[in-house]
Amino acid sequence: MKGYLAFLKKELFEYAKTYKLFIMLIIFAVFGITNPLIAKLMPEIVKSFITDGVVITLPEPSAYDAWTQFFKNATQMGLIVMVILFSGVLSSELSKGTLINLLTKGLFRTAVILSKYTCMVLVWTISIVLCFGLTYGYTVYLFPQGETSNLLFSVFCLWLFGLFLLAALLFSATLTGNSYGGLLITGAVVVVCMIMNIIPNVHRYNPISLATDNMGLVLNSIEASSLYSTIMISCLLSLIFVSLSIVIFRKKQL
Amino acid sequence: MDLATLKEYLPFLVPLVIAQLALAITALVHVLRHPRYRFGNKVMWVLVVLFIQFIGPALYFAFGRGEE
Repeated sequence: MKGYLAFLKKELFEYAKTYKLFIMLIIFAVFGITNPLIAKLMPEIVKSFITDGVVITLPEPSAYDAWTQFFKNATQMGLIVMVILFSGVLSSELSKGTLINLLTKGLFRTAVILSKYTCMVLVWTISIVLCFGLTYGYTVYLFPQGETSNLLFSVFCLWLFGLFLLAALLFSATLTGNSYGGLLITGAVVVVCMIMNIIPNVHRYNPISLATDNMGLVLNSIEASSLYSTIMISCLLSLIFVSLSIVIFRKKQL
Repeated sequence: MDLATLKEYLPFLVPLVIAQLALAITALVHVLRHPRYRFGNKVMWVLVVLFIQFIGPALYFAFGRGEE
């Protein structure tokens, strides 16, 4: 436990020193600010492209458009930036051999993996909360009469999908031991989830539903209860990924 | 877009500009002070960091920076 806390502190310090924390926070803050802004400006942008003789009537932008932008940006760019930044989670220390000293001094390998996962989850949580807070504030400011349902639950689903993705990333990083292999396997996991989504019955149990059904939840076209099984499966898969990482890392030759 | 609309969106634009500048400058300073990269050269990274907004500095810190 002591080793776990010490290593967690070291991890957080490392993210701050390598500017990764800074980049994550700024990029998510920028998303948070631009989401409502793009929703508000969309009619203007479209108008500037229209030439004479073409008439397009656009509905007045609403809070829904801002949240559409939020879930589009956070699920695509946001998750991509997060995975790229965390791709070196294990590889840099393995290639430099800096872990060996700590492990021979009695740090448990389980503690290493667990504190790495905790640290990634912490950074992701702070980023998504920041992004959500900024989007919420500006959306309320720009579209005061917007009514949304299930908003917090929808963001919670997105957060959970991030956890699932981080677990997959940790697992693949432990398995391959380098950052490109980790990125490749994580990408493969997402692609497999997307392909599985074509089968209608799988959709209910597919973790990727957590990142695709968000707008449906906000618009109330999808019942919150239909996602409960997906949530269960995602938590279970994340747990399996993290446990497998521990098992593999304990057997790994450093 | 005229000046009045620009003024209306100032509360959005100012933080955005500050964020972009902060990212670009931090990355630029790092590029110039640590002239060893995993791949590419100084000119390439300066251009990437300055002209690819938001993603450029992220790419640099994730892939470009060499070991200390």
